Amino acid sequence: MSDAVPARVPESVAIIGGGLAGFTTAQSLRASGYTGTVTIIDPEGTPYDRPPLSKDYLAGKADAEQLGLVPADWYAENAVEVVPHRVDSIDPDSGIVRCADGSRTQAEAIVLALGGRPRMLPVPGGDLPGLHVLRTRADADALRGELAAGRRVCIIGAGLIGAEVASTAVDVGCEVTLIDPVKIPLTAAVGVELANRLHAMHEEHGVQVVEGMTSSITHGEEGYVVTTEDPTAGEFPADVVLVAVGIVPNTELASTAGLDVDNGILVDPAQKTTHPRVWAVGDAARIRTADGILLRRHEHWESAMRSGETAAASILGRDLPRHGAAWMWTDRYGHHVEAIGDMTAGEPVVRTDNGRPSAEFRLDADGTMVGAAAIDPGTTIRAARRIIDRGIVVDQVQLADSSVPLKKLAR
Amino acid sequence: MTEPIKVATVGDIDDDEAIVVPGDVNGTGNPIAVFFTEDEYYALDDTCTHAEASLADGWVEGCEVECPIHAAKFNLCTGQAMNLPATIPVRTHKVEVRGDEIWLHPGVPVEGAVLEADQ
Repeated sequence: MSDAVPARVPESVAIIGGGLAGFTTAQSLRASGYTGTVTIIDPEGTPYDRPPLSKDYLAGKADAEQLGLVPADWYAENAVEVVPHRVDSIDPDSGIVRCADGSRTQAEAIVLALGGRPRMLPVPGGDLPGLHVLRTRADADALRGELAAGRRVCIIGAGLIGAEVASTAVDVGCEVTLIDPVKIPLTAAVGVELANRLHAMHEEHGVQVVEGMTSSITHGEEGYVVTTEDPTAGEFPADVVLVAVGIVPNTELASTAGLDVDNGILVDPAQKTTHPRVWAVGDAARIRTADGILLRRHEHWESAMRSGETAAASILGRDLPRHGAAWMWTDRYGHHVEAIGDMTAGEPVVRTDNGRPSAEFRLDADGTMVGAAAIDPGTTIRAARRIIDRGIVVDQVQLADSSVPLKKLAR
Repeated sequence: MTEPIKVATVGDIDDDEAIVVPGDVNGTGNPIAVFFTEDEYYALDDTCTHAEASLADGWVEGCEVECPIHAAKFNLCTGQAMNLPATIPVRTHKVEVRGDEIWLHPGVPVEGAVLEADQ
């Protein structure tokens, strides 16, 4: 395809995968006035929102209907067909999408919104039946059915999902053990000061925190037993085991179809894969910049949404939306945590609240903010977003002063 | 719909800030946020339609308020939900400036609001 010839807008778009990224692609196409055929193909059917799966939905405080990304009649009103099938293969050259039930559909553009699947532990017993993972609504339903007061819950992995489930399980009254090989998880996401405070919350809420690499899981009459590589650490009995050690991006459809894949489906900044008919969005997509640098996959809610918006614009041949610094949130033990930008770059400026770190900002050598994270931030991270996106250089003394609302510095 | 009530005096609400009028005070049973931005007053139901959060604590900019928890934006003029994760609009309430007094008409939607009265 020559760069000199503008691409024609495709008459049909098949979106494979109905997570937030796939849904947002469809929504953005329609919001842009696109009148072609839009189909979302996902064995789970109607798209739903995943963040509550480890929080309110798992706790039984939200029901399945509340997980909907839009009211149920949105799909008919916007002529977006949802096909509840699993896709077996795609043929990019012809645009044919083959489903597991033998049906097929053909589209001029294909969007791969395949997401990821929970990584399993490569240890003895790592494939035992009954181990829980948490990615889908069905996973959450299964786990929810097992959480009850007094149940012994062992969570392997203290990242975002593991920590959120620990908090939810404590709330339900479970006895929780949390195992992770990393002494202080999430330092790259929120900086070491906040990561320390957040991780300490587990023990403050009665969770047994174990620093160790899980070495085996067994199951007997007394339930499960988890061990770590440290033989002196003891064994950890449990009624329920959740493995929350990250995801593996679902790239097989892409690699089988001949697209470039490297721990993610490789896309350009417009979310285009190496085939001109195919885009990829969300957790499974990985951006390769024009100079060949592979970016880290950013497995967060807002990133998924943004990638869908970008893909829709790209499919329609429109200017790509300009997105600023990437944002994420998490909740634990009644605290809301947000981070924006890059918490591994620059130098830290830390705010404290009653002697405890409440926010950390990362500043480049020239004083420009590149990242911010905060616990119960109010509008602090929103203000940081503005400061980062607009390149506002703020006074470092005021930045470190918790009594100065960041909002004042952002204007 | 309840009787209009005086909720503040001009100058009480800083630029791009809001006050909350509790539900038992405004008579609707739900807290109402009264915003001041770009020399205008706006009132919306205070609770985000997506999750439990006070919009009065949100980020006000360009005739929109952004929820402080999950960043859903609502149009201050119409109550429309502008982006995910919110999809349901919030109720608007008419605000009137009488001299230097700010009067709220709880339950009276503004003209052009997405949600009409008693919807």
